[in-house]
Amino acid sequence: MSKSSWDPKIVAFLCHWCSYAGADLAGVSRLQYPPNIRVIRVPCSGAINPLYIFKALREGADGVLVSGCHPGDCHYISGNYYARRKFYILKELLIWTGIEADRIQFSWVSASEGQKFSEVVTEVVNAVKLLGPSRKLVKEFSINV
Amino acid sequence: MFESILKELAKKLLREKTVDLVIGYGSSQYPFRTEPLLINKEEQVATLTWNPFCGNNLARYLKYYKNTQHKIALMVKGCDSRAVQVLLKEDQIKRERLYLIGLPCSGLVNQEKLLKQFPQTSLEDFEWKESGWFYQGKKINPSLLLEETCLRCRHPNPTEYDELVGEPMTDSPYQVYQQDYLEPVDSLSAEERWNRWSKEMSKCIRCYACRNSCPLCYCQECFAESTQPQWVSPAPIPSDNFLFHLVRTMHMAGRCVECGACERACPVSIPIAQLPLKVEAIIREQFQFEAGTDQESTAPLLTYQENDPGDFIK
Repeated sequence: MSKSSWDPKIVAFLCHWCSYAGADLAGVSRLQYPPNIRVIRVPCSGAINPLYIFKALREGADGVLVSGCHPGDCHYISGNYYARRKFYILKELLIWTGIEADRIQFSWVSASEGQKFSEVVTEVVNAVKLLGPSRKLVKEFSINV
Repeated sequence: MFESILKELAKKLLREKTVDLVIGYGSSQYPFRTEPLLINKEEQVATLTWNPFCGNNLARYLKYYKNTQHKIALMVKGCDSRAVQVLLKEDQIKRERLYLIGLPCSGLVNQEKLLKQFPQTSLEDFEWKESGWFYQGKKINPSLLLEETCLRCRHPNPTEYDELVGEPMTDSPYQVYQQDYLEPVDSLSAEERWNRWSKEMSKCIRCYACRNSCPLCYCQECFAESTQPQWVSPAPIPSDNFLFHLVRTMHMAGRCVECGACERACPVSIPIAQLPLKVEAIIREQFQFEAGTDQESTAPLLTYQENDPGDFIK
């Protein structure tokens, strides 16, 4: 596949209470954003296991977006605070192992921020496009070093 | 010298029925090695030993006694006692079921290093004195002899024990800190780091020795062996090796006590402890937490602050 015809596939984990509703609002408001994301609805950003993120990359996703409620607004009071610590460590670990950390993006989008949602998706898609197709961590059977 | 004290103590504990089981180190049929020794009779203490080859982290065995009523005496070095502390904190075993025999540790001797440096040698040639290791009376550089884990050790003394056998060590006798240890990797570019790690990971044969020797990997079913869903392929393909180690590292975040059991167990010499070590360094710096050093503080991923770093989130 030539690079010009390549379109990134991005897995978006959206929290049920904020970001998913934000995406919904973007939709009903007829806001435009790139159609590269595949949405998976989760109860809370705190429910995101780093394993899900790695698994998405392994299965060939070019990027992953995790989005939840703003700090202080979590439906479960503090799920996103726990998530923030977890993601911080995850991000630092990715950087240290040399995996492009820009493929994995985090955002806080509330249910009323349809506009912000479309902006975030546009930013993420642009960032992933810059990096090109994902190769690291993608399932491969041969050793290529 | 301390061996006889240990034997007496083990005998006494078993005779007085203070404990049902003593887990310690026994002499091995191989030179410069020891093996775990699980004894429940007084007469079995004869092979109990304590020397710089007692590498196994015996806290691993507590997992197998979680649902029994045994009272257990466990020989713990500094790192092992930190592992026990984490297990206690995570409610994996009750403190009253444990009798911890603390062993201040002057570092474990690496067999390969030893034989490379001193091909014709016996253990009697080496002596630990207050200021370091001596070979036939001459002081030697500990980095020629000791395990990497021990060179970067910050807590050679047990943090939790019922009885201490031996003289407490001065803290961090070797002064090689994590930063120095990880520096060669830290200073590489992102691409070089990726090349390094993907090369290391393609060596992995997925024997799970790292996981199985880890005192804190106690899940009944590991995600790596789950079949529904199947997170990683059981075949040792590079991408899945990497995924396995990354997720294991995340599982160890804020829990790893840096005992180096994984690294010593690795049959293909992957410096696998560096991953959790880096994470622990990040956690110490950002969240001021060190696993296994006290009973009160909450594990860093089980708590939060409102002003935690969040600049990376859009």
